[in-house]
Amino acid sequence: MLKYASRGERIGDAFNYVVLALIAAAMFFPFFYITMISFSSLADFLRSDVIFWPQQWVLDAYRYIFQSHAFRQSLQISIFITIGGTLVNLAFTSTMAYALTRPHFGRRALLLGVIFSMLFSPGLIPSYMVVKELGLINSLWALILPGAISPFNLIVMRQFFLSIPDEVTEAALLDGANEVQIFWKIILPLSKPALAAFALFYAVGHWNSYFSAILYLNDPAKWPIQVVLRQIVILNQPNAALGDTQFMLEHQPPPQTIQMAAIIVATLPILLVYPFLQKHFAKGVMIGSVK
Amino acid sequence: MLTNSRHSRTISRRMFVIAGSAAAAAAASTGSTFAADTAKITAIDHTYGNPPPSDGPGLKMINERFDVNYQPTFVPEASYTEKLTAVVASGDIPDIMYSPGDSNFYKWAGQGAFLALDDFIEQYPSFKLVPSLTLNAGRVNGKVYAIPQYYPPYSLTPSIRQDWLDKLGLKMPTSYDELKQVALAFTKQDPSGRGAGKTYGIAMGQTINPSYAMGAWWDPDSWLHKDDQGRLLLGSITDASKERIQFLAELYAEGAVSRDFAVMDWAATNKEFYSGKAGIFIGAPRGMSQDYMAGLLQIDPGARPVPIPPFKAPDGAQEFLATAGFSGLTTFSAKLAKDKDKTKAILDMLDFRRTFYPADQQTPQNKDYDWLMGGEGKGYDVVDGKIVPKDGTTNPQGLAPNEYLVGGTAWVPKPSDLDYSKGYTKEPIMGAWAKALQDMWTQTKGYTNPTIGVQSKTFEDKGTDLTQFLSDEQTKMVAGQRKLDTWDDMVSEWKSRGGEAYIQEINDGLKNMQG
Repeated sequence: MLKYASRGERIGDAFNYVVLALIAAAMFFPFFYITMISFSSLADFLRSDVIFWPQQWVLDAYRYIFQSHAFRQSLQISIFITIGGTLVNLAFTSTMAYALTRPHFGRRALLLGVIFSMLFSPGLIPSYMVVKELGLINSLWALILPGAISPFNLIVMRQFFLSIPDEVTEAALLDGANEVQIFWKIILPLSKPALAAFALFYAVGHWNSYFSAILYLNDPAKWPIQVVLRQIVILNQPNAALGDTQFMLEHQPPPQTIQMAAIIVATLPILLVYPFLQKHFAKGVMIGSVK
Repeated sequence: MLTNSRHSRTISRRMFVIAGSAAAAAAASTGSTFAADTAKITAIDHTYGNPPPSDGPGLKMINERFDVNYQPTFVPEASYTEKLTAVVASGDIPDIMYSPGDSNFYKWAGQGAFLALDDFIEQYPSFKLVPSLTLNAGRVNGKVYAIPQYYPPYSLTPSIRQDWLDKLGLKMPTSYDELKQVALAFTKQDPSGRGAGKTYGIAMGQTINPSYAMGAWWDPDSWLHKDDQGRLLLGSITDASKERIQFLAELYAEGAVSRDFAVMDWAATNKEFYSGKAGIFIGAPRGMSQDYMAGLLQIDPGARPVPIPPFKAPDGAQEFLATAGFSGLTTFSAKLAKDKDKTKAILDMLDFRRTFYPADQQTPQNKDYDWLMGGEGKGYDVVDGKIVPKDGTTNPQGLAPNEYLVGGTAWVPKPSDLDYSKGYTKEPIMGAWAKALQDMWTQTKGYTNPTIGVQSKTFEDKGTDLTQFLSDEQTKMVAGQRKLDTWDDMVSEWKSRGGEAYIQEINDGLKNMQG
């Protein structure tokens, strides 16, 4: 392509690359900086000696975090919620989305209901009471079931299914396939990019699950990683160590290096998922944009 | 919400099934069983660290000692209010509940959610210790519905690098003028010996924090000054605060206050001081970070921070503003009124937790203290004559009952009964600083706001905006973007936005409380 470009176009391209590279660097730098701080000693950090590279590579911050049993346990919980939750999300979203593409009685009313629930989401207290009435308080399912279907994702996924030509499904019907077979053998395989994209959306949501975990889970042994890490990070702030024992002071507020390490540990796993879904993802976000 | 009893009954029945199975599971795992008449006691409290597991040895000890089935829930502090709102609204109020003492407490108390405690206060030694003025915080419509939790009276106190003063041959400042000269000297001269221009005077962060009130007279949070109608005024709208803001503005113009203060958070502000850049900051007897101090000492081995004593105010007083002396409230479900035995068990537990042991009684020989800490060798070790808990807050095992008992820490009879400075074992220089702060607070008692527990409806609704407005405008003044002579305009605008009603309501409430 460049071979045919004029001089002006080439300068324009170069300019674009430079600007985009600068923007990319600006986005990347904070993350890089956090990583470097997490490997530095506190004294170096206080002296502002860490700009691009730690003076000394130290693992103290990571040791502090990983020594915690609560942390390791919460990692497992988060992995369970993320994988299990995403599977539930995909199962419910795709089946309902498919049902909404089929001509049957009450489809319109159902769609309207979906849109309605998108516009008017329940507040904190009603949600809590529903979860409580369902007996899900203190159960990990409380983080998975209430948001099993995201109405927005549902509508976009339905739109994607609609973009699959009717002829394909009709041909399957003529060949004697039933709805379940059509869905399982034709629609789903054709929708891999969409599924990958939504899997990512849902998985990130589950991985970051924080507030609903605090709200619904009373047993600290069930807390996901975001809650536990945050507790480690803000541990013993000035208000925390109230006064009847002077020895409380032995537990110091963790310094910035530990906070930075916590950020890395909390972000890295989900970040690693992106490259694997990248190729689907680029196509996925455009789902439904062109019919 | 709270009056919907039919609804809450359905829920509590259902909850009973779930809670019942959880209790059975807990009993199976700890190997203990509960007698049929053992009272189930629920509690909810906030936590900063990671809470102990729901089946730790400490919990078992509590259940055995008080013959209860105690089930505390710990909620991360950051989201405590939301969770509490949901739990209370859903109809089952825990038997023991921590409340930050916000508007919800007064609302729920007014709706009859909590047990009135007036009859019990005299019965329990640790409750009797709470001063009557402090008890006002838990008083609604004349009855006490909550017991305040202990917090030391010390507030954050301005501190200064003594080594820098010595280096430049300066005296400890005793007035804003002298403080100004010192801050300028820290900026223009070379107190650190690392070269001029590397240091400056005052470390300050966003919302003008610390406020550098060198006494209650100048404090933005004090209720001390009176207007011509004899009403008490909020400190941050008084002329004394104007004087303080002017002082900061003049120093800022000279580069003697943190340049980016308007956007600096608390951690960044700390860093200005502990990296040896700024020479004036704050300290407190407890809660200072030894890691930070170690960082400062690596940079400036001679660093010696000391408190700046309060300045003499025009009214003759020489004292800082003290804290309210409590932090948060403990409340009890109104349903307990029907169950005298359970109420007694709960209050016994709370009284036990709040009993203070002076340093010489914090020994394995003191049976109660030993039990509270989980027992020698099990919950704690004695190292060099000191009690060192085995559990940390990063990874607690729930070894000691004190990790589970809610309702605040021990109520300290006199602040001087506690020596926080001994806790700074890693950095003795910080310990000496803490000791100096502590001594200073013991010598000057500090001014306590008379308005504790007085509610203002306007402040509940608009308080955030009102505070934000003053903070924004005063930040502009310090940064030189708004002229100091528009101070009165700022105050009248604040009053018209609701500040006037706020002041009136506080003064009316104060009269009601006293009358």
